[in-house]
Amino acid sequence: MYTYIKLAWRNIWRNRRRTLITVSAIIFAVVIAIMMQSINRGSYEVMIERSVNFSTGYLQIQDYRYDDEASLDNSFYFDDELRRRILDADDRIEKILPRIETFMLAANDQSTRGAVVFGINPEKEQRFNELQNFKSDGRFFDPDEQAAILSEGLANRLQLAVGDSLVLIGQGRFGMSASGLFEITGLIDHPIRDLNNQAVFLPLQTAQQFLSADDHLTSIMIAPQREGQTNSVAQSLKRELDGSELVVFTWPELMPELLELMELDLAGPRFFTLILYLVIGFGFFGTILTMTMERLKEFGVLLSVGMKRARLASVVFIETLMISILGVLVGMGAAWLILKAIDPIVLYGDAAQAVIDMGFEPVLPMSFAADQFYIQGFYVFLIAMAVFLFPLIKVMRLNILEAARS
Amino acid sequence: MPIVKTKNLSKVYNPETVPVHALRDVNISIEKGEFTSIVGPSGSGKTTLLNMIGGLDKPTSGTVEVNGVQITGMKDSKLIDFRLHNIGFVFQHYNLIPVFTARENVSFIMLLQGRDKKEMQQRADELLDQVGLGDRKDARPAQMSGGQQQRVAVARALASEPKFILADEPTANLDGASAMNLLDIMQRMNREQHVTFVFSTHDKRVIDRARRVITMVDGAVHSDEYQKAEEYDESKA
Ligand SMILES: Nc1ncnc2c1ncn2[C@@H]1O[C@H](COP(=O)(O)OP(=O)(O)OP(=O)(O)O)[C@@H](O)[C@H]1O
Ligand SMILES: [Mg+2]
Repeated sequence: MYTYIKLAWRNIWRNRRRTLITVSAIIFAVVIAIMMQSINRGSYEVMIERSVNFSTGYLQIQDYRYDDEASLDNSFYFDDELRRRILDADDRIEKILPRIETFMLAANDQSTRGAVVFGINPEKEQRFNELQNFKSDGRFFDPDEQAAILSEGLANRLQLAVGDSLVLIGQGRFGMSASGLFEITGLIDHPIRDLNNQAVFLPLQTAQQFLSADDHLTSIMIAPQREGQTNSVAQSLKRELDGSELVVFTWPELMPELLELMELDLAGPRFFTLILYLVIGFGFFGTILTMTMERLKEFGVLLSVGMKRARLASVVFIETLMISILGVLVGMGAAWLILKAIDPIVLYGDAAQAVIDMGFEPVLPMSFAADQFYIQGFYVFLIAMAVFLFPLIKVMRLNILEAARS
Repeated sequence: MPIVKTKNLSKVYNPETVPVHALRDVNISIEKGEFTSIVGPSGSGKTTLLNMIGGLDKPTSGTVEVNGVQITGMKDSKLIDFRLHNIGFVFQHYNLIPVFTARENVSFIMLLQGRDKKEMQQRADELLDQVGLGDRKDARPAQMSGGQQQRVAVARALASEPKFILADEPTANLDGASAMNLLDIMQRMNREQHVTFVFSTHDKRVIDRARRVITMVDGAVHSDEYQKAEEYDESKA
């Protein structure tokens, strides 16, 4: 085997310039393909990651009715037993985060705004998503305090600051009226833009009592040790919760719109990549074609002295693979370095303002998702297979005497 | 049992359009240890005959047996394997793998045979010593003269321990001295190791070195004679 690899390696360098050009073309295609993907995916990945951390979790447990009607009426009873059952369902579950969430009106003494009210446990939030790090003013509340943390955006709109009182008006569980006065102990600059304009955080127990939903939750967010375990952990949880009124969702199920939007945005780059690979593929084919045609005589000699056709073809296959692998590996490395160097692209001036006005941050983060790298290897491998068909057929059909005379 | 035996071997090229009778009823038999030269004017069928014997081409009629095995009608893949283990080839040119050194070229054929690695190296070195290339083992074909390349080709042909070695005009591209040197080596191997050689040539001096001379004319065997071969010169080899 070693000898065949050696033979193939030396063969590809017989025409150094041609091989270098071919490899460079593949590198170019791989770099462009990865960069296009990365730039388009980066912002989405940040959004997805934030959603996973702050609003959905990798997995989430809800009452089975909650998905259709996100109402407190469809909250569920949570006690230590359920907590144990969840944690014991799969030992890869690392963190769980209980929450109660509902829509209410938030008011100062003059005006009201719509608000999303979260009952949370500050320590658990901290462990799950470091929520407290986003505090911009004041302090976090104690577990049963009659206090609230306000998102910056909402505080601005209501002209409220730390120390002021916040009025919340709405409905509790089963239509019980809920209105109360809370002292604002802190402000938070929430990383999810929508929530920064709407979120109000209350201590979990305070919220449960206020909403007539003692010991009830609307969701439990769950994080496995690694993202890749999401689906199998979901299976374990589904098995454990089978027969109860609780259901398990994974993060792609919880944010389908975002993922669809991302796919839509990636369609363009993917199409361009396809065209690019088609063009590069023809160049590659040209190289392999000449490499084959100019060696027919040599092939004839090898078949004459007793080299099996399949073996000869496999040497040419290794040559094809080597050129592709060189291109792919160097291309991946180069793309990675370039991405590292430019990540993140920070926008300035009007461009930045335009992006801020749309509710985004003026930075374009790059995606380093592994799959966009190795998928290029897969594409180039497919091209190599297609390109290899020519020498394969040629070697299998080669007439020794005609080759010797060519 | 003869090493090579042809029975009524005929070859017609382009039978439908302009038929060329390249071989007509050739019956020859070559014994182990013979040093046979096939001669004749251009177009007389020498190459065609060697190709048939070597299993590189298929006859129109008649058969070829090598060491008692009929190779006519053998399947392509089986024939390739048969050649690998039974026949050594030296062609007029483009014999060697250009990216391999002399040693690698000689070893390669043994690799194809699936031999032990150590044995391969050792045998390749021995053979290159025998053809007088002990100091050029790591040279690539492009770094060697035509004569040296042909000697590597002989070493390679021998490496597979074939029943016989076929050579179609092995000296055609060589100058006189290199040609004689190659013949010396072939002759010595024939004497000392009883290697059977069958080769074609135009060269009078080469013909003189052969024990047996088969003369082809117009696709048929015109004469088949044994002669007293000129001795090779020990000092030159
Ligand atoms: N592939 C072919 N198609 C048609 N005719 C062929 C083919 N190969 C050889 N011939 C013809 O067959 C005859 C014998 O050719 P061959 O090559 O065997 O002669 P040769 O004795 O080797 O000649 P030379 O000394 O020139 O090498 C010639 O007339 C040649 O033109
Ligand atoms: Mg000829």
